[in-house]
Amino acid sequence: MESENPVPFIDRRLWIVVGKGGVGKTTLSVLLGIWAAAQGKRALIAEVDGAGRAAWLLGLQPAPVGEAKLAQPNLAVMSVEGSAALAEYLRLILPVRRLLDVVFASRIYQYFVAAAPGLKELMTVGKIWYEAEKTDPTTGERAWDLVIMDAPATGHSLQYLGMPKAAHEVFRAGLVGRESQRLMDLLTDARKTAVHLVTTAEEMPVNESFEMYDRLRNELSMPLGYLVVNRLHRRRFDRTKLAELRQRSSGMSERERDLAAAVLDRALEEEGWSAIHAENLQRLSERIPLPRLELPFIFAEEFGPSHLQTLLRAMDAQIVRGPRRLQSHGFPVG
Amino acid sequence: MARAVCKAMDSPLDNVLEHHRILVCAGSGGVGKTTTAAAVALRAAQRGQRTIVMTIDPAKRLADALGVSAIGDEPVEVRLPRTARGTLAAMMLDQKGAWDRLVERHAPSDEIRQRILNNRFYQHLSQSFAGSQEYMAIEQLRALHESGQYDLIVVDTPPTRHALDFLEAPQRLADFLDRNIVRWFVKPYFSASWATVRLVNRTVGFLFRRLEEATGVSALAEVSEFFTAMAGLFENFEPRVRRVYELLRAPDTGFLLVTSSEEQVLQEAEFFLQQIHRLGVHLRAIVVNRVHREFLVREKAPSRQAVIRIMRKLGADPNLAEALAENFELYQALGRGDVLRLEAFQRLVPAETAVVLVPNLATDIHSLQGLELLHAHLFASDLDAAA
Repeated sequence: MESENPVPFIDRRLWIVVGKGGVGKTTLSVLLGIWAAAQGKRALIAEVDGAGRAAWLLGLQPAPVGEAKLAQPNLAVMSVEGSAALAEYLRLILPVRRLLDVVFASRIYQYFVAAAPGLKELMTVGKIWYEAEKTDPTTGERAWDLVIMDAPATGHSLQYLGMPKAAHEVFRAGLVGRESQRLMDLLTDARKTAVHLVTTAEEMPVNESFEMYDRLRNELSMPLGYLVVNRLHRRRFDRTKLAELRQRSSGMSERERDLAAAVLDRALEEEGWSAIHAENLQRLSERIPLPRLELPFIFAEEFGPSHLQTLLRAMDAQIVRGPRRLQSHGFPVG
Repeated sequence: MARAVCKAMDSPLDNVLEHHRILVCAGSGGVGKTTTAAAVALRAAQRGQRTIVMTIDPAKRLADALGVSAIGDEPVEVRLPRTARGTLAAMMLDQKGAWDRLVERHAPSDEIRQRILNNRFYQHLSQSFAGSQEYMAIEQLRALHESGQYDLIVVDTPPTRHALDFLEAPQRLADFLDRNIVRWFVKPYFSASWATVRLVNRTVGFLFRRLEEATGVSALAEVSEFFTAMAGLFENFEPRVRRVYELLRAPDTGFLLVTSSEEQVLQEAEFFLQQIHRLGVHLRAIVVNRVHREFLVREKAPSRQAVIRIMRKLGADPNLAEALAENFELYQALGRGDVLRLEAFQRLVPAETAVVLVPNLATDIHSLQGLELLHAHLFASDLDAAA
């Protein structure tokens, strides 16, 4: 049975990063990419939502859709877009390539795609897997050891990931039927795939991650990897003590009192968030029994590529505490 | 129609609530849009308006924010404290239900209606085609508006990356359902051969046949069946969409843009500001959530030593004083960043649009009491601000 010898995450070929909008999925996809490259893997990050943020975080100009752009010797970024992926795919299977451009430009083609719901999403996932499986014709080696899919925000993620199954139910026969079957097999294979769930430790994102966790496991039977909790506040202050200090400030000059108030307010603010985060971490422990990575909030004027190192160190410390820890993270499906 | 008394000390946002019948909350996902919509609706209800807040997003967010367990496609009354002078209801758009009702009205027979509901093209159009959800939301908005039951309708839009999607989607849908094209799919103009569809030439027709064979998608038949059965509806789709835009552009329909002070989000908000012009809708207010302020003494940031000194003076031990000073410095950095970004942003905002800054409140808002905490910031009057 699979659970006897689970494949460690690092050896799986497809990582999918999911989560609510705004929780730091793209940042995490990039961190995972850098980390994997540092472990000697050739990694490709596939962005799906068109923002080009992964490219930006890695200091790159946005790449044309469908092309891999190298950020480091072992790390590249690609933007994948459904319509382009579909067109590329159809070019491979239809004989008259020149005229296909006319077809794609025609209004009728829009109706064709509309009559085949989910085809674009299916092709997006298909394209990403195609990149993962692609081999160099001369060496026979795979181009990438690992493809990291930076999925779109929650609702859409589930649509994308559920598409092969849905498509397969609708298109039993023909090419789409076969493709969707292959993709379904890949996405549910705990030897090849790991889905990492990203959230922040606030009420609504946590509620959504419960939903996502349930649906990924029960409806989609996808193998899960890490639960990553991002933007954590941790510093604690004693509220009573802060109140005491505030009390004593009433004897100060106005300017000193204002500064004291501002300092104490910021302490209360931090304490407030840290308390909320601690509580939500507890809720997450109870409901989502996945190995967890906890990343700190970055206090910066502007978050950017220069802060990736801090987060990378935090991540690295938690992942490589020992080979045994990695081993135990090969969770079986279901 | 009970209207709140307009006081001279009303905050800019209170004024917006009083002078509009519809308020659309637009903005990217993850910025507190739903919470803001709920807080604004609650305020209007407290001040005497018969208010309803409508959400399009099926997640439990709005229900969570209002502290109710569930919201369905029928208005649910939200129980308010006795001091409230108006009423508050909440409801969710039932996208599929709305489209299915349209089919019911226009399908010529029960049998055909059933075939349409099972038609793949219809299912995609009604559930996931871009613009379909937004179009239905606005139709629902129109129904609520015409019922005359509410003084104010607050609309919480879906959390898309692009704030403009809500506005542009209906037109995209209308373009797609262009009557000139749709006509060709309708029998008896249409017959089952690609070659006879006048829009494509013979070779292209051949390619489409191959496409269908290869993929297993028999697009043409599905599309034709749908449009034939629904001919009545789609002959007149363009005017429907025009009416929908008229409602969005009406003088008593206002838009409220919700954003945060993060770079990515502000870029999206800026884009929205620039484009909204072209769309002819009225942006009345901008709410910026989670704003960090920078504390300055005579235009300068206090030094770490100054902070430690003050904290020691208050009786904090050296470790606590150090921790307080360090924490303060970290938040000051956030404040500096916000100030810079917001200054640049505000230069793009027209003078008549109110901008409300809400600080980074360390409370999870999931009850009416929580929403009321927001009010102090959302509805601070000029007098409050000056104090």
